[in-house]
Amino acid sequence: MEINLETLTVGAELEGYEGETYTEVREPADEPRFLDFVTIDVWTLIFTWGNLLILFLLMKKFLFKPVRKMMLDRENEVKEMYSDAEKSKNDADALKADYESRLSSAKQEAEEIVKNATRSATLKSEEIIADAQKNAAGIIARADKQIEAEKRNAENELKNEMSDLALSIASKVIEKEIDEDKHKELIDSFIEKMGEV
Amino acid sequence: MNGPKIMFEIPIFGGIPVTETVTNTWIIMAFIVVLCIWLTHGMKKVPSGKQVIAEKIVGMLYNMVESTMGKGYISFAPYIGALFTLSMLGSLSSLLGMRPLTADLSTTLGWALMTFVMVQANNIRCNGVKGWLKGFVEPVPFLLPINIVGEIANPISMSFRHFGNIAAGMVITSLMYGALASLSAVLLQWIPNAFISSIPIFQLGIPAVLSIYFDLFTSFLQAYIICMLTMVFVSSAGSEEAARGE
Repeated sequence: MEINLETLTVGAELEGYEGETYTEVREPADEPRFLDFVTIDVWTLIFTWGNLLILFLLMKKFLFKPVRKMMLDRENEVKEMYSDAEKSKNDADALKADYESRLSSAKQEAEEIVKNATRSATLKSEEIIADAQKNAAGIIARADKQIEAEKRNAENELKNEMSDLALSIASKVIEKEIDEDKHKELIDSFIEKMGEV
Repeated sequence: MNGPKIMFEIPIFGGIPVTETVTNTWIIMAFIVVLCIWLTHGMKKVPSGKQVIAEKIVGMLYNMVESTMGKGYISFAPYIGALFTLSMLGSLSSLLGMRPLTADLSTTLGWALMTFVMVQANNIRCNGVKGWLKGFVEPVPFLLPINIVGEIANPISMSFRHFGNIAAGMVITSLMYGALASLSAVLLQWIPNAFISSIPIFQLGIPAVLSIYFDLFTSFLQAYIICMLTMVFVSSAGSEEAARGE
């Protein structure tokens, strides 16, 4: 390899020499120049650093930053969605528990109300019935009394009428004024006996 | 076999030679940047198509950096990504007939020196200047020269490993082409037609078999190795806690 390089160098010098001595046969730039196969070229080194840094910055700007941002955004969004879902589930659970407790208390209350209503209704109905019974008893008693009074009245009336009738019949029979009081007494006793019969 | 061709000179500082390596680097960089812009163009919350690929690549790289170096060094991922892409595509460019960047010792030495500087900087950042200097006389002061040689040997071995693999592949491939051309010339010389007998028919297809190893496999492997070594050297130079405390 090194021999190769030496010949290359020697050749280049010869060409340069020829070019100077004779007319310019060809431009020196036409001749491609090469570095050694194993060489450390400072300018290439500097270019390498610069290129790597530039590529690093460009890739960061055009690939890593936007893609990373997109991925993190999506990750955050998913996390947010999960936490939101968790939160609304908790809310729903709390609401459900609340409703259930309210519902059961309402049920209890309704039972209480119904029980109370039933009890008061029973009491009332019993009261009403008792009242009615009392009233009815009063009415019956009154009616009995009235009937009794009526009966007595009717008896008295009948008695009076009969005594009057008897008196008039007797007076008509005997055509003669008799002692009314005495006769009346007589008749009354008669009617009394009749009544007993 | 020649080194990289000098494409042109920038006429300052007495002429800065711009070699084939540098111009090829520019071409590859342009390709990478265009690829990056295309991959991330029109990204959506719900990924599809090329965005899946971009996210896969970025995610894999971040995972690799995190598992190798630790969470505190996650900001190294873009650098490692740039180094890996440039190294791999730089070596693979030989498939397109370009001179691979990594067949130039200046390139691989540049990368290795970059790693060297980062290792020392990270060591100083995590342990302080005193701790860094103290590291050279540990475990016993007697080992000082060996420690120094060990530090300096890292970039040298890294750069020569990468350069040697790719350059050797290039040399062997060209030797193979030469050998196959001679073989065709010998075996086809009975054909009277000079044109037909001059066709190097054996160059067709056979080098591709070698190319699978020397171009595809080695390119990927060396890119992986230089990135791995960079990550391991940098992260082992300082503690992860110190890096996270930054």
